[in-house]
Amino acid sequence: MGSLNASLNIALQSMLAEQGAIETTTNNIANVNTPGYSRERADFAETPPLHIGDITLGTGVTLSDVQSLRDSILDLRVNQETQQQGQLNAFISGGQQIQTLFNETSGTGLQAPLTAFFTSLSQLSANPSDLNTRQGVITAAQNLASAFNQTSTNLTNLQRNVDQSVSQSVSQINTLTSQIAAVNIQVQSASTGGQNPGPFIDQRQQLINQLSNLVDVSEIDAGNGSLTLTTSTGAPLVVGGQSFQLTTQTDSTTGMQDIYSQGSNITSKISSGQLAGQLQIRDQEIPSIQNSLDTLASSLATSVNSQNAKGIDLNGQAGGNLFNPPPAGVTGAAATLSLATTDPTKIAASAGPAPGNAGDNTNANALLALQNQTIINGQTPLTYYSGLVFKIGNDLSNAQTSQQSGGLVLQQVQNLQGGVSGVDINEESANLIRYQNAYQASAQVSSIINTLLQDTINMVQ
Amino acid sequence: MSIRLNPNLLPDLLLSIQQSSQNQNIATQELASGKAVNQLSDNPAAASALVRNHDQTTQDDQFLQNITTLQTRFQTADSTLGNVVDILTRAISLGTEGANGTMTASDQAAIASEVQGLQTQLVGLANTSLQGTYLFAGTAVNTQPFTLNQATGAVTYNGNNGVVSSQLYTGDSIQTNVPGSQLFQNGAGDAFAALQNLASSLTSNTNIGAALTQVQNALSQVSVQRVFYGNALNQVSAGENFLNQDKLDLSSQENTLAGADLAAVASNLSQAETANQATIAATGRILSQPNLLDFITSAN
Repeated sequence: MGSLNASLNIALQSMLAEQGAIETTTNNIANVNTPGYSRERADFAETPPLHIGDITLGTGVTLSDVQSLRDSILDLRVNQETQQQGQLNAFISGGQQIQTLFNETSGTGLQAPLTAFFTSLSQLSANPSDLNTRQGVITAAQNLASAFNQTSTNLTNLQRNVDQSVSQSVSQINTLTSQIAAVNIQVQSASTGGQNPGPFIDQRQQLINQLSNLVDVSEIDAGNGSLTLTTSTGAPLVVGGQSFQLTTQTDSTTGMQDIYSQGSNITSKISSGQLAGQLQIRDQEIPSIQNSLDTLASSLATSVNSQNAKGIDLNGQAGGNLFNPPPAGVTGAAATLSLATTDPTKIAASAGPAPGNAGDNTNANALLALQNQTIINGQTPLTYYSGLVFKIGNDLSNAQTSQQSGGLVLQQVQNLQGGVSGVDINEESANLIRYQNAYQASAQVSSIINTLLQDTINMVQ
Repeated sequence: MSIRLNPNLLPDLLLSIQQSSQNQNIATQELASGKAVNQLSDNPAAASALVRNHDQTTQDDQFLQNITTLQTRFQTADSTLGNVVDILTRAISLGTEGANGTMTASDQAAIASEVQGLQTQLVGLANTSLQGTYLFAGTAVNTQPFTLNQATGAVTYNGNNGVVSSQLYTGDSIQTNVPGSQLFQNGAGDAFAALQNLASSLTSNTNIGAALTQVQNALSQVSVQRVFYGNALNQVSAGENFLNQDKLDLSSQENTLAGADLAAVASNLSQAETANQATIAATGRILSQPNLLDFITSAN
């Protein structure tokens, strides 16, 4: 047999449960704009029924659980796409700075001084004995050398700036991994203590997402809600409550910062995130462009020198070097390209015999002909340079295309994630009305039971 | 039940506002510069082709400048040789006059002295220089090519037999000089010696006929050589036409590679503007849309 007291209890319990649900809803609405917040759901359950003889009586409702709604697979996808975006954004930022050094569309690259050098030789061929024309060749060669020096120096400066950004990225990574380690412990203790770890997971997810923007992150479930984070090649970042700091150390050959984890150099193993994009610019893109510039400067200087040596200068002497010989092994040729002479009479325009051949332009023609000869790695100087221009533009353009399509994918995955975890005010409002109605009904029920109890007491009197 | 949608539309809306703004910027930049390729990454292949295009254009400009220099040189040489022809023709008429046997000795001497004067003039013409270099010295352009020995009347050549060739444009070269020795002192006729002989024949009144023949030979020789400069002028102006055409082609190529299609860009711009305004309007409406909560509060 049921009792009025039992009914009163059920009504009160129900009011408490609805109150909890209303609180959950209120919390959802309050956090509608909180980054990383996952909506929570109040779960109701029947309390165990009471068996009295053949009759089974329900004993009411209880708020069994408050769950954060999230899809951990989507979280992973968001992090993966974020790593890609971080890498591409860093690469694009560097690539755009490189591109301004070679902006041929506005005439600020090496084409103009390169062409000017050869047109000065063309002029020389038409007027080999004229001192002003010869001076024109010296000036053009000087301008060409400065253009090479300037471009190479600018690239080196850019590389140093990126190197500083690498150090900054590493220290941001370290800050984030410390924070994640701390939250990791909170998730773990909430999980083992039977509490809802949702808010801590939200916070951890948000931090891991920031970390993903910086570096490639692999997540391993360590049980009890705890996560182990490593780089994709296994260098530990966070294990339980401990974070493993990355360190930087100056590389003795390149002078750039190498990245170390637990004593081993992992610079070349960083595969994604902003750090990978910065390393790509610093260790691949810029060195490759420098090498092309060095090859161009070195082969050009060597070819001009050896052709000049085949001729006779205005003083009737055999021609000497016009450019100082580039360093052996090419490296540094662009940065150090310089003239060996500023004396316009030293240009060997004539083929001899010496003396008295001031009007002979045989060797000037041969010097001019270098522009159409395949003297730079099997290409003419201009073709080689235009190939470099293509590479620079194409690398950047490819990265921009990937960044855009990746951005759309990220946006879609974030939409899916929002579909699972995002707070919808309309939905929460509807829930609020449901809970409010249930609460009001239970309150009404308890007031009716109260009247019944009153009646019973009055009956006794 | 349908799939739950992301209740937060803002990122999507902001992204499309950002994209249409970006399209607006690109179109504005293209309209302002008139170029579709403003950075290497806009079109790497076109940017790389532009490098070669600009190089070729600058080279063509230089070749055209060289052609102007050559034209001046050829014209000067041609008109100098024209004067040489006049001098030799005058010498022939003087010689013919002196050979008719009716002259007094003093008339004969006067003619002889005029012929001598013509020889001096001829040496002057053969030493013509342009912008500090001698035209008829072979490649020894800083050496005065012909010297006249006042005592003997003999003329010596101090230049050389070097010929010079220059590129009119890539792949086409032209010889740009004829050495003085070939013009004035070759096997077929030595103009200076011919005049010298004519003068002495007139003075001595002997062998004037033979001396005249020598001058005639020298004259025809100079006339033959002069054709070289005429041809060279023709060739150079053909080169000039070629280069001007090439420059036109290059500039149309540049336009194809990098020029913005202004009509298309203008329409892109207005499309981007419309899209941008529409998205902003939509965003405004969605953000101010009433939600269920508004109705609950108003019901109470």
